[in-house]
Amino acid sequence: MDKQESGIRVIVTLVLISFLAALLLAYVNKITREPIARNVRNETLKAVKIVLKPLGNITYPFTAKTIRLKDFTARYYPAFGPDSVIVGYAFIVKAPNGFGGDFDLMVGVDSSGKVTDTYVLNHKETPGLGDNMRKEDFKKQFRGRTLTNTRWKVKKDGGDIDALTAATITSRAFTYGVERALLAFKKLRER
Amino acid sequence: MDTKKKFLSSLFSENPVTGLMLGLCPTLATTTSAENGLGMGLAATFVLVASNVVISSLRHLIPNRVRIPAFIVIIATFVTLVDMGMEATFYDLHKTLGLFIPLIVVNCIILGRAEAFASKNPVWHSFLDGLFMGLGFTFSLFILGSLREILGSGSWLGMRLVPQSWNTILVFVLAPGAFLTLAFIFIGMNKISKLVEGDKR
Repeated sequence: MDKQESGIRVIVTLVLISFLAALLLAYVNKITREPIARNVRNETLKAVKIVLKPLGNITYPFTAKTIRLKDFTARYYPAFGPDSVIVGYAFIVKAPNGFGGDFDLMVGVDSSGKVTDTYVLNHKETPGLGDNMRKEDFKKQFRGRTLTNTRWKVKKDGGDIDALTAATITSRAFTYGVERALLAFKKLRER
Repeated sequence: MDTKKKFLSSLFSENPVTGLMLGLCPTLATTTSAENGLGMGLAATFVLVASNVVISSLRHLIPNRVRIPAFIVIIATFVTLVDMGMEATFYDLHKTLGLFIPLIVVNCIILGRAEAFASKNPVWHSFLDGLFMGLGFTFSLFILGSLREILGSGSWLGMRLVPQSWNTILVFVLAPGAFLTLAFIFIGMNKISKLVEGDKR
């Protein structure tokens, strides 16, 4: 049964299969690109609303601005109150060195420099452990903190933040992420 | 082909995970919760059915010498389709499973069924084989995910079963817990498959 096929037939078949596969993929990529981009954008805009909820009715632009600091870059959405005055910012920062690498964190900061809320945009932390950073029990301790009234480290490292059980690395990354947002806020204010 | 018998055997004695011991890597990695297990199982089932049908219908055209590269191209195509389709429709599920979807390409269940079954059997039988094997895989992942979620997080499919203040057995969500749970499922499934299908060995 194992007769030797001619080289040409082997090449033609493989090329044909690859070609059809590429065609199919290109087509599906074309029809899914738009919904995927929409999903990402919707989630980000929804997150702005969530982290700045305490500020009440706000309007904000659909595209983020960028601010460059010494060690990192942050993106942010300024939020405008009813009289077109800026009442707060939603920062998107990279929380550095989580258990599964950096993850994207959105941090809401009101005009007095207090953290309003946090939202994890995407992450690769351990489900059931680091993953718990999205839960209320962990998030609530950040509200109302400012750059100056808090030592931005987990308690194990001599700071003020309660780490998650068995997920110190994630908590550390999260803490530094929030601190970065506040540093970006400070820089924005200095400008 | 006895469809009912084949269906039962792919759930129990020839279940890809507990019977054939294939695809253990994604099994251990993705079953931290029942929902993740179910999602991974269904994604793999889709790829399995689609690649089995295509490979079976091309089985006389693909030269024997290059069948594995050809199979891999076909499988990888379907996996990418699932990946893109899922990101466009089930964005939240894709956020948790996204990491594992590309790994379906190298899931040995799929190449195993392509090589052992689809490349030798007619399209309809390959379709059923893919479907049943996929359901068997989903079944195992769902049980494993459910047990780990209940024991490790105290919830099932996202619903809390025990009060928030209770300490759950954290180790079951971690990698060692996956091995422990899997071992017990092997024992359980072997017993059940003997009961359901009769002792063949």
